[in-house]
Amino acid sequence: MTREPRPQKWARKQAAPLSETAFTLLVQGVLDYGIFMLDPQGYIISWNAGAERIKGYEAADILGQHFSVFYPPEDQSSGKPQWELETAVAEGRLEDEGWRVRQDGSRFWANVVITALWDEKGVLQGFGKVTRDMSERRAAQQALSERRRLFDHLVQAQETERRRIAWDVHDDSIQAMVAVAMRLELLADRVPEAHSAELRRLDATVREAIGRLRSLTFRLHPPGIDRHGLVEGLASHLDDVVRSSWGMDYSFDHQLDRAPTPETAITIFRIVQEALLNVHKHARGSRVDVRVTSADGGLLTRVVDDGTGEPMSVDGAREHFGVIEMRERAETAGGWWSMHSRPGTGTTVEFWVPNPLPLPASEPKDGTP
Amino acid sequence: MTAATPGGSPGAPFSVLLCDDNVMLLETLSEVIRAQPDMEVVATACDGEQALRLAGCHRPDLVILDVRFPGDGPSVARGIARCSPDSRIVAFSAYDDKGSVERMTSAGVSEYVLKGMSNRELLAALRRAAQP
Repeated sequence: MTREPRPQKWARKQAAPLSETAFTLLVQGVLDYGIFMLDPQGYIISWNAGAERIKGYEAADILGQHFSVFYPPEDQSSGKPQWELETAVAEGRLEDEGWRVRQDGSRFWANVVITALWDEKGVLQGFGKVTRDMSERRAAQQALSERRRLFDHLVQAQETERRRIAWDVHDDSIQAMVAVAMRLELLADRVPEAHSAELRRLDATVREAIGRLRSLTFRLHPPGIDRHGLVEGLASHLDDVVRSSWGMDYSFDHQLDRAPTPETAITIFRIVQEALLNVHKHARGSRVDVRVTSADGGLLTRVVDDGTGEPMSVDGAREHFGVIEMRERAETAGGWWSMHSRPGTGTTVEFWVPNPLPLPASEPKDGTP
Repeated sequence: MTAATPGGSPGAPFSVLLCDDNVMLLETLSEVIRAQPDMEVVATACDGEQALRLAGCHRPDLVILDVRFPGDGPSVARGIARCSPDSRIVAFSAYDDKGSVERMTSAGVSEYVLKGMSNRELLAALRRAAQP
């Protein structure tokens, strides 16, 4: 839009009465905000289209009524409307968020600003009141918070189940197999050479199975993740598994603004664990670099290997499942996941998850819409 | 094989206290130890309280102690060190993660044997621990 330059004096003289009319039209026509005036006692003396849309009253129905009709009964009986006017008088304005009632009795979540209006002599002329219907935003916030709660619950339920299976395998299956292996060795020492060879083979098989079960319990419930948090959990996993068991070199960098919630920590840990398993099984690399940094209000994690760059090559099903699991975990947390892989230059698994503040134990209920 | 100076008297077998809450494993361990001419099982314990009482009572040369033991392996190891200071403790665990090993080592155990290692390795660790 362009304007013709005009002499300022002329423009002001002409614009003043016009803009007042325009302003009144503007206020009356605004639909997103309820804008109306109260007299010094709180009786409604003007009404606009937005107020009608939000509260349901037509001007003829509401003019002259006390503004406390917009408040739920509990607020009326506690004297909240009067208190809000007094506060606006004392402090110039008052802002509040809370339940308000429409003409049909239904409730909506409102943002309300009451401004005290004074004349030049300092006499109170009334109040300007602006009301916004925040129900949709509040519903969106609640949906987000509910999603977080469900996500946290899901992560915790999964971990609890994995921990239970790990303990069962450890306390029952592994112990029984250790006893069997010890007896087989004992027996092999006692029987003639001809039979002992077979017993020792059996013994070796059982002990290998014990080793595999131990790896399984470790994978199901890595010690440390729920005791020491993300950084220590990852550090000990890299040390115990990547270096000690797989014999791979690694580096681990971390720059975290603040510690993630247990659920976020578990999500990151599990994705890294799967990515590392992928490197070990398929990438044929000698080194892996893990980096976790705070970024964009969340945590960005990278797992980079120096392998063949073809980690997903042969056996489809299991790997596919691993990729799906990694991606689903990141996306369920509200983040993203990606994998770049080029033959000869290794593979990078990269993902970002939000790092929200812990949810309060239970959200206060503030009325029923 | 002849023991070095077990139980304070030359030639006597090492006295061993076995602590594991898995009964099947406890029986098997007993059998393996009893098959050794230089070792004898003096008692078996299924929980921390029993382990401390028996350690105080028998003052064994050696204690085989499960890490995930009722009463907590490292705590029981410290308790045994108090009530029977000359006993050497060998941790026997299905966990080989750094945290478990460190917790037992800082509780003063002499050896850490992973469940699933051969009887030969377990017995070698016991004999190493029994060395003065």
